Amino acid sequence: MRKRQSGLAILAAVAGIGMAAGQAAEGPSLAKDLTSVIALLGLPCGEVVGVVHKGDNDNIASCKDGHRYHVFLNADGRVVAQKL
Amino acid sequence: MKRAFASLALLSACATAPHAPPATPPTAPSATQNAPPANAGSPQGPVAAQSEIAPPSAPGVSDGSPVSSPSAPAKATASAARPKPTASASAIKPKPAKSSAPGAQSGPPAATVVAPDTTVTTSKPPVATAPAAAPLDLAALKQRLRDTNAIGVFTKLALKNQVDDLLGKFRGFYGGQLKISVAQLRQAYDLLVLKVLALLQDSDPALAKEIVASREAIWGLLSDPVKFATL
Repeated sequence: MRKRQSGLAILAAVAGIGMAAGQAAEGPSLAKDLTSVIALLGLPCGEVVGVVHKGDNDNIASCKDGHRYHVFLNADGRVVAQKL
Repeated sequence: MKRAFASLALLSACATAPHAPPATPPTAPSATQNAPPANAGSPQGPVAAQSEIAPPSAPGVSDGSPVSSPSAPAKATASAARPKPTASASAIKPKPAKSSAPGAQSGPPAATVVAPDTTVTTSKPPVATAPAAAPLDLAALKQRLRDTNAIGVFTKLALKNQVDDLLGKFRGFYGGQLKISVAQLRQAYDLLVLKVLALLQDSDPALAKEIVASREAIWGLLSDPVKFATL
């Protein structure tokens, strides 16, 4: 039983490493991406600490400083950050 | 124990397998294609607005209005907030060098842009000309920016919007519809380059370095109406 538990723990660790490597290959995380977008648009945020994915290219970002933004791609193809 | 290792190897292979496909999501290309050409009247991205005409942009943010550098209101703020340049736009327009080939896009512009530097520094020509004379491959730079993993998809789209806005400003300037000085255009260009560099410098320093090296050459293309028309 103990052997099985330790095996599972190692498994989980390896799977976690695999996922992290996959993320690194894909680029920055969504939170980091949204942090960059909000900063690029000149809005106060600091760092995005929470993201609620609403749909394709449609997210609610919660910032470290308490600001919340609806970040989405509008019909014109522009990235918009709307303060909530 | 052997069974544990066997299952470990099997599951680790499963864990890494799904991350093999390429990173770029399918929505990005279509979104960029659907992006309309930048309005000639839209003066700048919000950051530029903050640095130049901060008061008009701030209320829009506090009202909860979307921030994406909308074209029409921004046009109004640009004409209202900025003091009108005393010299006419045609007077400030950079005149294209007649000696250089106007149709050439990638190679010759870099040489024409850096030519004054090389003539001034006659004492150490090999050291001074080596970095500046690097040919500008705009298409390759664009492709590398698209392909880099240092910037997320949303950020790339936002950057593209701001690049389009800047190109729209140049278009308006050369078309005579936008009353703006070359210095202001240069400031907007510098700001945009700095934003790109800030995004790249940690995760893709090689590309950042290349952009720094091409900075003046790109400005040479933008500030010359003849070369700009070929872009």
